[in-house]
Amino acid sequence: MDVRSGRNMLDTTHPPRMQRSRGTAMVAFHHARGATRLADLAMAGSAKVMLPRVPGDVPEVVLLNTSGGLTGGDRLSFQLQIGAGCRVLATTQTAERGYAALGVPAQVLVRASIGAGARLDWLPQETLLYQDAHLERRTEIDLATGAECLLAESLVLGRQAMGETLRSATLQDRRMIRRDGRPVWADSFYLDGGVLADGSAALLNGARALAVVCLVAQGAEDAVGPVRAVLGDGAVSGWDGRCIVRLCAPDGWPLRQQLAQVLRILTGRQLPRVWQGGGFP
Amino acid sequence: MAMAGPWAMTTEAADRLALAQLLSPGFPVGGYAYSQGLEQAMVDGSVRNAASLAAWVAAVLRSGTGRMDAIFLAHARTGDLDALADLAFAYAPCAERAAEMRDQGAAFGQVVARLTGVAPPPLPYALAVGHATRGMALQTPEILALWLHAQAAQLISAAVRFLPLGGADGQAVLASLSPLILQLAASCAQASLDDLASAGFAADLAAMRHETLEVRIFRS
Repeated sequence: MDVRSGRNMLDTTHPPRMQRSRGTAMVAFHHARGATRLADLAMAGSAKVMLPRVPGDVPEVVLLNTSGGLTGGDRLSFQLQIGAGCRVLATTQTAERGYAALGVPAQVLVRASIGAGARLDWLPQETLLYQDAHLERRTEIDLATGAECLLAESLVLGRQAMGETLRSATLQDRRMIRRDGRPVWADSFYLDGGVLADGSAALLNGARALAVVCLVAQGAEDAVGPVRAVLGDGAVSGWDGRCIVRLCAPDGWPLRQQLAQVLRILTGRQLPRVWQGGGFP
Repeated sequence: MAMAGPWAMTTEAADRLALAQLLSPGFPVGGYAYSQGLEQAMVDGSVRNAASLAAWVAAVLRSGTGRMDAIFLAHARTGDLDALADLAFAYAPCAERAAEMRDQGAAFGQVVARLTGVAPPPLPYALAVGHATRGMALQTPEILALWLHAQAAQLISAAVRFLPLGGADGQAVLASLSPLILQLAASCAQASLDDLASAGFAADLAAMRHETLEVRIFRS
């Protein structure tokens, strides 16, 4: 496998690329006057944050990469600070596209800190990997005592509607949730040409669309029964304050349909509007 | 020099014998009771003969639990065991795998305590093995090769008991994996914790679905 984490982005052994995009955004919430309120917001480069008006008392944060996709050398970072007692839902405006990256990977960093008793639902739209994509993504969530988070991420390999079969792509997708500094859930998924070519039943097993969902909360395992009742080609497991769901499908659309059902149970709410705007079931 | 573990022998040959004992199928950690999702794949029919078994085991070793556990074991020879144990349990893909890591580690520790007179700390299985090898005068790739070989042998043994597959056919599958095992042992010995990663999505899915398998002979 090709592990290049921590690569020095000033590495000069690769040919210079003219249009590397850079984006960094930070949004913070605090609990004030009985509600979750915006505390701080900063954006630079191609990273944007939108705060659409939504009904109810859970603010929705919509992150957007205005460069329209990720190619070699791009760097994007989003940071979310959810103050004690807040509840926030964060998502992305569109699916993120990983385009061909020759030589040097695109890097995405998502970090969230969630204060005591607060909850973040991090429900980005899917990541689409195109031929020769090279993406390194790190998602790090730090929970304070009594904080909760729900994470749902999906990956679609090529566009089946276009007749694409992904043969060459590299992905390092590292996810880490810590509570009070100690790891409680980690999932590092990787993909390379060898994995895409693997003929066993143990890796992708023919799936073009995959999703992983993780709820970390006291009593999260209680969600296993209700989730199991709606599962199709997926599975759920719960233990020690975790409820983990993995889903796979032949393509992105049936995956979305399954994921929608699971997320309705785990959030107890309607899905983010931007998902519905994208033709969500 | 690594911190001395409970196995502080003096010669390489004696250490090699001790390692063979720790990782032998006779060492009572209950390895025969676990399939790490393979039982589900066999019930589904996606693993049904020698060829599909060899492909499954090779993929799990190269890209799944096999390499993850090997990296953990290597780090347990020198690293901070509490932090490693947190990380190993955080990476457990499902409840049954978490229980397998914990229970096999506990069983391993009990036997080590009996043999050495020193109770080791409670650790998930791969870390418990790594800790037990701390004092051994053996190179990490050699230890990882034997560990990966034992893991492969355990999966193959589960398949031989479940499938219409002869014992000699299972041994042929195991023998065919030797080059891969040696290559992985060398690379995992060099790997950092940031290299921990798995592509074993379908194997994890099978291990999760195993929890609701009604008729089962394995605990994972």
